Amino acid sequence: MATLLVDGQQVGAQAGDSLLVAMLRTGLHPTGGGCLCLGGDCPNCLVTVDGVAYTRCCQVPARDGMVVRRDLLGGEEPTLLPDESLSAGKAAPVRHVHCDTVVIGKGDSGREAAREARNADLSVVTLDARDGQHVTGVYPGPLVVASDQAGRVLHVHPRREIVVATGAAEIQPVVPGSDLEGLVTARAAAELVAAGIDLGHAVVVGERPAGLPEGTLAKHFPIGQDSWELLRFEGDGRVEAVVVRRQGDADATEERIESDTAVLGLGRNPRNALARMASDLPVRAVGSAAAEPDLPPCPTEGTVCPCSGVTVADLDDVWERGFHEMELLKRATLAGTGTCQGGVCLPYLRSFLLERGGRLQPAFTARPLNRQLTVRELAAGAHTAVTARSPLHDEHLSLGARMDRAGGWWRPWTYGRKDDEYRSVRERVSLGDVSSLGKMAISGPDAEAFLERIVPTKVATIRPGRCRYVLMLDERAYLLDDGMLCREADQDGGDRFFLTSTSGGSGFFELWLRDWAEAFGCDVRILNQTASLAAINVTGPQAARLLARAGAGELPSFGRHRQVRIAGVDCRVVRLSFTGELSYELHHPAADARTLWRRLLAAGAGFNVQPHGLETLLRLRLEKGHIVIGQDTDYDSTPRRLAHEWAVNLNKGDFVGRQALLRTNKLPLDKRLVALRVEEPPAGQAGDPSAEGAAIHDGERYAGYVTSDAGTAAGGGAPMLGWLYLDPEGNLPRDVTVDGRAARRVDGPIYDPEGARARAAVDIVSESPENVREFPLARPEATDLADEAPTGPPRLRRLEATRVSATTAALDAVVDDSPWPAGALAFRTASDELLVTATPDFEVAGDPHAIVEPETAFSYVWLDEATAERFLDRECEWRRPNARRALAQGEVAGIPAKLWFEAGRTLILVPAPFAAVFERRLTGSLGETDGGAP
Amino acid sequence: MNEFVERQMKLTWRPPKKSYDVVIVGAGGHGLATAYYLATRHGMSNVAVFERGYIGGGNSGRNTTIIRANYGIPAAVRFYQRSVDLYRGLEEETGRWLMHQQKGILWMAHSQAAVRAERMRAKLNTEFGAQTEWVEPRQVRELCPELDIEGGGRWPVLGASYHPQGATARHDRVVWALAEGAMERGAHVHQNTPVEGLVLDGERVTGVRTAAGDVAAGAVVSAVGGHVSRIAAMAGLRLPIRTHRLQAFVTNHYQQQFGPIVASSELFFYASQTARGEMLLGAEIDPQPSFSYRSSHDFVQDVCRRALCLLPFMSNLRVLRQWTGVCDMSPDYSPIMGQTGVNGFYLTTGWGTWGFKAIPAGGEQMAELIATGEVPELIAPFGLDRFARDRTMADRGSAGTH
Repeated sequence: MATLLVDGQQVGAQAGDSLLVAMLRTGLHPTGGGCLCLGGDCPNCLVTVDGVAYTRCCQVPARDGMVVRRDLLGGEEPTLLPDESLSAGKAAPVRHVHCDTVVIGKGDSGREAAREARNADLSVVTLDARDGQHVTGVYPGPLVVASDQAGRVLHVHPRREIVVATGAAEIQPVVPGSDLEGLVTARAAAELVAAGIDLGHAVVVGERPAGLPEGTLAKHFPIGQDSWELLRFEGDGRVEAVVVRRQGDADATEERIESDTAVLGLGRNPRNALARMASDLPVRAVGSAAAEPDLPPCPTEGTVCPCSGVTVADLDDVWERGFHEMELLKRATLAGTGTCQGGVCLPYLRSFLLERGGRLQPAFTARPLNRQLTVRELAAGAHTAVTARSPLHDEHLSLGARMDRAGGWWRPWTYGRKDDEYRSVRERVSLGDVSSLGKMAISGPDAEAFLERIVPTKVATIRPGRCRYVLMLDERAYLLDDGMLCREADQDGGDRFFLTSTSGGSGFFELWLRDWAEAFGCDVRILNQTASLAAINVTGPQAARLLARAGAGELPSFGRHRQVRIAGVDCRVVRLSFTGELSYELHHPAADARTLWRRLLAAGAGFNVQPHGLETLLRLRLEKGHIVIGQDTDYDSTPRRLAHEWAVNLNKGDFVGRQALLRTNKLPLDKRLVALRVEEPPAGQAGDPSAEGAAIHDGERYAGYVTSDAGTAAGGGAPMLGWLYLDPEGNLPRDVTVDGRAARRVDGPIYDPEGARARAAVDIVSESPENVREFPLARPEATDLADEAPTGPPRLRRLEATRVSATTAALDAVVDDSPWPAGALAFRTASDELLVTATPDFEVAGDPHAIVEPETAFSYVWLDEATAERFLDRECEWRRPNARRALAQGEVAGIPAKLWFEAGRTLILVPAPFAAVFERRLTGSLGETDGGAP
Repeated sequence: MNEFVERQMKLTWRPPKKSYDVVIVGAGGHGLATAYYLATRHGMSNVAVFERGYIGGGNSGRNTTIIRANYGIPAAVRFYQRSVDLYRGLEEETGRWLMHQQKGILWMAHSQAAVRAERMRAKLNTEFGAQTEWVEPRQVRELCPELDIEGGGRWPVLGASYHPQGATARHDRVVWALAEGAMERGAHVHQNTPVEGLVLDGERVTGVRTAAGDVAAGAVVSAVGGHVSRIAAMAGLRLPIRTHRLQAFVTNHYQQQFGPIVASSELFFYASQTARGEMLLGAEIDPQPSFSYRSSHDFVQDVCRRALCLLPFMSNLRVLRQWTGVCDMSPDYSPIMGQTGVNGFYLTTGWGTWGFKAIPAGGEQMAELIATGEVPELIAPFGLDRFARDRTMADRGSAGTH
């Protein structure tokens, strides 16, 4: 026998008891009184169970050790903060179930519907409140969400049909005294009797329940035409008498019958909310859930809505003042907006409105939640957005970096040595991790023509080996993103380009390019290498010397790029500059990033090399007047407003945004993003962006605001960027104030206006051989996929693979051919893309423009079949293939994953930037206890 | 007895006439506010508001009732500050309890980029009269002790912009008070009367078409939400509007405890406690355009998950109800108000996710425009022609979640 605590009192429960039945056995009635329905439809048995308020105790099985408080209704509302308030925050576990048909309700009609479906060879899942499954909603998907007695949440994904066989609720009494204890519905009475609870002397009004022992029944009053009407209940706290009268005869004598329990069979209201909230889905109500609702008599007195405490007098009052629509009546009184969502009041609101207005109005809209789950239950199966990790993430941590989320990536904000980080760039040499830049390889017969239509820069004049800063505009000529475009040396296949975007834009970048390629009908291959390639910016006056010491051969001059082997790693070295110093951006395979980073730091020790964080980078670029997309730009930033006309060539043919530029360039200019030099020292410290958002004034006139500030500049005076409005004469003011401080608009960057430092000619091409070490390639964390599944807790490892972008036909042929070692897997991730778990020593014969690149940006884990199934039942929402030796891809645990199912084991591949988070979610999910099959 | 039962307001329904000086399409907050201010400020009461359903049944009755002025561009800050001020005086002006509560709004930052954005916003707002200050985590904790300032270890609160004038009011009561104020001065409101077309005389709009016949009008104002593209098309206009779903949900009632409104633009949600004690949560619009009022599970699931990061005390609260409205999104995240280039036809639209907070100022300014024929300075930047003139009021940063 289970023992539980109700308001500190020990209560024993018999097997099969609901919490309500166990309480009633002990003589404990829920507080607040009111008619008990035992069907989960009314608000009259709400209690707090184990800290969860608004729990209907008729719907909860009595469990040993349960702690119950009867503090709802009639008492104070529950508190927002339970004692353990700040220690929670975890979502409930979820289990995904796929089937053909889901049947909600196991009554006669539900069982019949399930039987029919099974006879038609359909897979069926049935859910029933009596089995502890409370369905909260039927959603587009289709998706049926239910809590489960195992403490988890079920997400049932039916392919064919949702059958709502939830039966009907019983109509509650609305008369004076309907908030007394001792009132039960007819079905509730039958259940209580069956549970052995003594109802004492019972008076039945309306339909008489089956199974009520003869001795119990004091009197039976049928209701309706030519019979009786219920007038009120009398009693002090608990019902003592029921008062009735002959129907329709106001002069007839009232009959008052003493009773211990009033049993009320007042009619049925179909539980059809689940069907009504999903009318556009394959949902079907059956049995009494599909019946028309009974309409009770128009109430004359008493509480209509016990949740919100609304009386018939309240309804009359608002009706008289013009609130005649069902929704207005509801909103003006709040009837139906409480915890039973109209379960009690809706039938009476309809009969009230019918009588007053002569029009039967529809029920108010059915909305989720049908049964009220908790926030942690509703959160089940959701994950917050993953922040990507650079392959150098752990290196930054070990160097003491404070990491920060920026543009969807974790980036080192500072290594705690702000001033030295700055000086190392300006005076010596520094490393910056720019792996988060968006990176696209683009080839194909139309590659050049395509890019001409994408960027406003002339592409045809970019010679192989050269690179150029480019803007990316939308159709309205507003700046979307910027990056650099490199043209590769002519290869056999002809043109190939490498295009970068900002970190924040990288998620959108590929979609944007592919969308335009399709719209323009361009024959191009596009390979997203954002995660495939890490990038380290080596910047500072000693940058070339550091690289030379790390074994670099010939380095590119300004505006050029070339392949160079540095410290044993093959890099695409791009020479442009964001910091204003001599800079080499080293793009290289993600798997080699740690090796390269460590070796560069080692090679630079003699130059006192330091890494710099994002905070310092933002200051460095500001001194050069370089914009940051999103911070300095908004949805009206045309190249002209940004003073970036130099990056636009209107004479080269059409490109995205050109039409808008031709039109808007004729309109008068209103504002411009300008560089300002504020002479007075700012209040804040160096690097403190205290003036961002500050208003700029031109005399008395408001003239704009500051978008970027980094505090003190190297040469004294603070550099800022800001929007400056033209004055009424159409001129851009020169001398303005920022927060009352004198400021002057400057025409070029504050730091090194001529750009001599960034463009400096470099004559150090190689170091003396004794200084240069040999650097063998080392990829300690990469392993071979063919390895057997490791034992112990699952750990993700980096995969050595190949990625191919080629025409569909060419890829079809390659897949047929499978020119890779046996055992390698080929994932056809898109019609024009292939991922092969082998190193790239094969050709794509059918497409001379194919891009075949080594790929180290995936991590993998093998799970044994049982573990994989357990994990995927919880973390994979979509239906997995039943076949073995099958591939599938989709989101798993909130992360895009590729799955390979073999007999006995399952392979999971995820992008390496998400691997650490995936591993944590995998371990966390497997650590949860399993509640068994539903 | 329920203290929240509306016990004062009186709605007076009158049969429609054949002709009005002004016909307003849509009896939501903006339509009724326009009628209210025409009547109270300009003595114009030969005005009718036509509504296809019931008053306040669209977004006016579906929003999350937040009032604030901390926007990202000067013109918007000024406009919304006017609305904040009007809201503050609206209970006294109408003599009705609108459940207006000034509670302050905290906009939390979890990254350095957000810190900069919020500090910048605080500065710009204060400059234009919408007092906002940057507050450090310690002060955030004082203002909202229920927050987990560590963000569950993953979303630490690095500070917040704090806008003390942030407030809430009961949306329905605002609608009814404006309706009542207009009605008692003689304006008509016609429920269950869809406008099916516009009556055109050459290039000029001269009335509206309903099932019961044509109604002549000196001026027609579209204050429609959700289907404005259809009304505008009747006048031959194509609007730069996309309609998206916006969802929200409430929990059951709990004791009053949670003071301010809190928002996180990186976790994309915001929360407040209603006067009745429900925790009310909202988030960003659905990404794909839609006219559907269907609520989705993804929404409540994701927002619950994100809310748990900062408000772990919500774990065991039971969610009561979720619902959906549809938002007319303009390309620059600012409203569109004023003349349209079609004579006799005015628009107030593009109210996206910021319509409720703009109701009084929007109505006041539209009324002034219609009554005087002059475009008021406060809304001059928000005209429809701004797109053709390349003078968009770009303000995506402030619109993110609200």
